[in-house]
Amino acid sequence: MRSAIVTGIVAALIGLVLVLGGGAENGPNPFVTLGVLNGAIYGLVALGLVLVYKGTRVFNFAQGEFGTLAAFFLFFSIDSEYGGLPYPVGIAIALTGVLLIGLAMERVIIRPLINAPRVTVLVTTIAMALFLVGVEILAFKAEPRSLSPMIQAIDQAGDVNTIQIFDLAVEPQRLIGLGVLAAFGVLLAFFFSRTDLGLAVLATSQDSFATRVVGIGVERMSRFIWATAALLGAVAGILYVPLTGALTPAVMTQNILIPAFTGAVLGGMTSLPGAFVGGVVIGFVQAVSLWAAGAWRVGGRAIQEIVPGSEQLAILVVLLVVLLARPQGLLGRET
Amino acid sequence: MTTATEVLSPADARTRPQPSTRGWIARIGVMILLAAIVLWRVATIEPFWADRFALAAIYGIIGLSLNVVLGYTGQVSLGHHAFVGLSAFLSAFFVTEKGQSFWIGLLLATLAGALSAGLLGLVALRIRGLYLSLITLTYGFVAVNSIFDIPALTRGGAGMPAPRPSGFATEHKFALLCFLFLGLVLWIDWRMMKTKVGRAVLAVKQSEAVAASYAVSVTGYKVLGFMVSGAFAGLAGSLFAHRATTVVSADFSFREALIWVLMVVVGGLGNRTGVVIASMFFALFPFLVGLVNPLEHFVIDTMGKDPEELTLVIGPALALLTIILYPGGVGEQISPITRWFRGEKFSLHPDGHKPKGKPHRAAAVLRHLVRRGR
Repeated sequence: MRSAIVTGIVAALIGLVLVLGGGAENGPNPFVTLGVLNGAIYGLVALGLVLVYKGTRVFNFAQGEFGTLAAFFLFFSIDSEYGGLPYPVGIAIALTGVLLIGLAMERVIIRPLINAPRVTVLVTTIAMALFLVGVEILAFKAEPRSLSPMIQAIDQAGDVNTIQIFDLAVEPQRLIGLGVLAAFGVLLAFFFSRTDLGLAVLATSQDSFATRVVGIGVERMSRFIWATAALLGAVAGILYVPLTGALTPAVMTQNILIPAFTGAVLGGMTSLPGAFVGGVVIGFVQAVSLWAAGAWRVGGRAIQEIVPGSEQLAILVVLLVVLLARPQGLLGRET
Repeated sequence: MTTATEVLSPADARTRPQPSTRGWIARIGVMILLAAIVLWRVATIEPFWADRFALAAIYGIIGLSLNVVLGYTGQVSLGHHAFVGLSAFLSAFFVTEKGQSFWIGLLLATLAGALSAGLLGLVALRIRGLYLSLITLTYGFVAVNSIFDIPALTRGGAGMPAPRPSGFATEHKFALLCFLFLGLVLWIDWRMMKTKVGRAVLAVKQSEAVAASYAVSVTGYKVLGFMVSGAFAGLAGSLFAHRATTVVSADFSFREALIWVLMVVVGGLGNRTGVVIASMFFALFPFLVGLVNPLEHFVIDTMGKDPEELTLVIGPALALLTIILYPGGVGEQISPITRWFRGEKFSLHPDGHKPKGKPHRAAAVLRHLVRRGR
């Protein structure tokens, strides 16, 4: 049943992208393809959110900032003024750094609250996010920086080195994002259904006392969850920030966190494949709404001239519709 | 008549020795003296600080508004910048564009806040869990990127003028007005929690199942709580608009909403006095740095930082410390004083009064060592 839903959604998405994406000149084609590729980043952050939610039943508002931090680490490692290291080394430094920060936060902040009410832990993740933003602003100032993508979009000769998809030039970075998301989705799904450690994490989230009784260390599970979440956030940051063109403090929280949350809710807050699908669907919906706001007219004026921010409005509409019509999400179970 | 939500007063309140008449006179006298000092300072201080105090009072109202959601209903709102901001724009809109009086603008802003919070709450309560935080988060996102950019309502980036009412045009008089409204909100909050509504809201927070089995409407009281919070936020928004006299959307960012949540945590969830004190501290902190000469020198010259940026680190750090080590917040720390005002004996460790949450880690280790030594 659930796999049928997944297959249906994926097939419908591919169909829509083919129909709309390959269409006429003034059709929504570039928007849709870009939207789905953006959605891959949402899906990646949503995976981290779902992971923490499965493990601790709390929304992790610090998930976006793991990404911004990773982008800052990467920037300072590879920038010729500071580190001047090769790109892969920079990525390794960024991932390790964020992993260590995630572990430290788990040990110092989350661990003492292991039996605290969920509201407390939720507020704690908010404080963690804002603390990281504050440190970023103090340390790096609020000025925008430019982080180059993994594979330079412009080669030495000055030609744009992009891949053609449906008459649309796509940066290789976006395709890498889609690939990484798919890989992580499969990996985590396998981990939670087939390995002992994955099952132990799930057990902890359901009843931490009973888990302790059968000899599973709750602390170890908590450490594992936050380390993996930090890593997922870092990967999303490294993939996304080069695409926006500006690395500023809190960039991931401002641009990605909210669509990612909506994607996670749409997929069902506890479903990893749901997070994957939800993120991509959100990217698609945003793209269509952006196109519609520019193309459709009310009383001679485009919609975007009357009410700006159609992308954000679309997210709110999706969230409200999901919570009203199917609160458990597309693939989630009733809780 | 006995109703479902009627709770008998706790045993200690009936048997507790009450202060003598002179004791009550002393308590009321000190309270009046404190209020008089605050109002006198606000009325006589230089205009720059009167303006800052007005902001502090508005932050106090915002803190109390979030306290209703966080402390009483046990949910989290991350969209208070949207409630406050939308009400600020609406108030300015009605005064400037529609030619209404300040008081009409204030009333409509308050109603708008209550209505939007209630509607979002109704959707959020469809599913168990802390989904109000997600819905308000997204609503705030939409407000910042869409509603605050609607040219007809906000005049784009230039801002919407919001003139002060004629009787309260100076900084001092407007600050006094803000403090009067803070007092009003405090009084409403206090009375609400003393009556059936307050007991029902707290019962629902404690256990939804038990509350429901006593015929307390879980959804109804939660939505009511959100609406009260929205109304307070709307009132604060209107005051915010007319204090600044021009409303610009940059004043209401997501960061503000987070800071507001954290200041309530620092104040102590559900603790009126603590929340107001912490909120005022958060409002004044960037300016307090300027008061202490060596500190200002250190922050601006040595570190090369803006004190306002410092709030973003100090605030969350304070909140984290509060959550982990002192879950009761400011309210818990000042409880000997507030308990004295309520008619108990002044005592740092009143009988049967144990600090909330886990004991301090170091204290636990010490106790363990002492016990082993015996």
